[in-house]
Amino acid sequence: MNQPWIFPPVTRVIDQLVHPLREHYASGSLLSNTFISLLRVLLGFVLAAAAGISLGIAMGSIRIVRSSLEPIVEVLRPLCPIAWLPFAIAVFKRGTLPQLFGFGYTRTVFDQVQLGMVFVIFVGGFFPILTNTLDGVTGVRRNYLLLAQALGAKPRQVFLHVYLPASMPMILTGLRQGLGLCWFVIIAAEMLPGAESGIGYLLIYASDNAAMDIVIAAMLIVGSIGALLSLMMRKIMSGLVRWHGKEI
Amino acid sequence: MERKYEVMTPDQINNSPKEKPIVLELRKVAKTFQSDTGAKVKALEDVNLRVHQKEFVTLVGATGCGKTTLLNLIAGLDTADEGSLRLGQGLRFGDNIAHVFQHYTLFPWRTAVSNIAFGLQMRGVPRTERHNRAAVLLAKVGLKGFENAYPHELSGGMRQRAAIAQALAIEPKLLLMDEPFGAVDDSTRTELQQMLTDIWQENQITILFVTHNIDEAIVLGSRVLVFSERPGKIAYEFKIDLPRPRDGMTDEFTKLFIQIRTALSGQLD
Repeated sequence: MNQPWIFPPVTRVIDQLVHPLREHYASGSLLSNTFISLLRVLLGFVLAAAAGISLGIAMGSIRIVRSSLEPIVEVLRPLCPIAWLPFAIAVFKRGTLPQLFGFGYTRTVFDQVQLGMVFVIFVGGFFPILTNTLDGVTGVRRNYLLLAQALGAKPRQVFLHVYLPASMPMILTGLRQGLGLCWFVIIAAEMLPGAESGIGYLLIYASDNAAMDIVIAAMLIVGSIGALLSLMMRKIMSGLVRWHGKEI
Repeated sequence: MERKYEVMTPDQINNSPKEKPIVLELRKVAKTFQSDTGAKVKALEDVNLRVHQKEFVTLVGATGCGKTTLLNLIAGLDTADEGSLRLGQGLRFGDNIAHVFQHYTLFPWRTAVSNIAFGLQMRGVPRTERHNRAAVLLAKVGLKGFENAYPHELSGGMRQRAAIAQALAIEPKLLLMDEPFGAVDDSTRTELQQMLTDIWQENQITILFVTHNIDEAIVLGSRVLVFSERPGKIAYEFKIDLPRPRDGMTDEFTKLFIQIRTALSGQLD
């Protein structure tokens, strides 16, 4: 325990945490790198949510879509999202978000949002969102469909007013799991060679420089943000679906 | 008072100008289901039924005798294999035929008022108007103050009240009810029966009510149809002329009860 380069004094960790804007080795501060990671996660998560929810609903309500896509999904789903990184780098090279829209180098934080990184985040969030949505849609009670039909709902209305709200708890569960996994994956992705920013990058860079106080501070930040994201999703969920778990 | 149910001929059906308009007419209706093992189960056979406007018809029979199947056919939720089903003039599936089920009568993700407004919403009625109309119905079924309660916050009886309001909101000409009070306690059931009778008396509405409770069938119906089992068919018909509200303790009531119970066990005649 008496090795300060492995276990730094608590005071030094706290010192790092209360000075989140301090620059480290020209790779940015704890705060700026956290912000970059969050930005990447947010983008990948939003894309995963859009794709996962729509595909989940399509697979859940159209038999042919489900039977043709399910085998592919089942093979790709157990694959660790990080395994997609070589593929993502090969396809997207070092392309960034502004470049995608033809802005080139913008000297903003958006230059740090590499498409390959976003793609890996997308993969991480996509599968839990897809499978939960699919379970939600296929689990809708036939009775509610009959009730809606009896009250004069057209197929499109049944979709909008029965399928969607009835599967909302499962969709939100998928989003919560998906966001958690996105945050999980980004840290791992940023720790791999090729990354040059993000809280995961700072963590591994500080480790290479034997700055364990920064490593521990970064770990605490990552953990806290993960917990906060989960809490936030829970709050949104209980606000949106007050009836969840109290089906009659 | 009792007579065996007669098969109607087309003449009888068309030549009844003195009677009220026909709301519903079933002729030789049959329905067969295929079980998972491939065996065919005849749920309904040779069902003949004519219901006139403003009638309150109760259908009594043992559980699993095909009553629900029949109701689903009439509601347009299923189709018959044989025979014909004709709706009276102006009646259309998904428009003015309402259905109250025993379970899952309300959408758990909607508040009481929004549940009642569901049918109106499907018909494109603007939000404010449909909520106002739903609030009026909510008060009518005795749920004032529970506008924003979710179904899980209501008792079983209150949920069925809301379900009735939900059905009434679409201003049905025909109200189909599938054991709607089957899951509530006795005193609540009596209250609900009284409420339903009042609603029926106040409105130009025809009700077809399925139950396995003989008391309920007699208390509510202007006509009680007794369903036989496997294959399900209407075996007997009883006209009920007792004054309302009906007292289950009178001799006439008891006599009817015994007759219907005997009919149900297939031992009448």
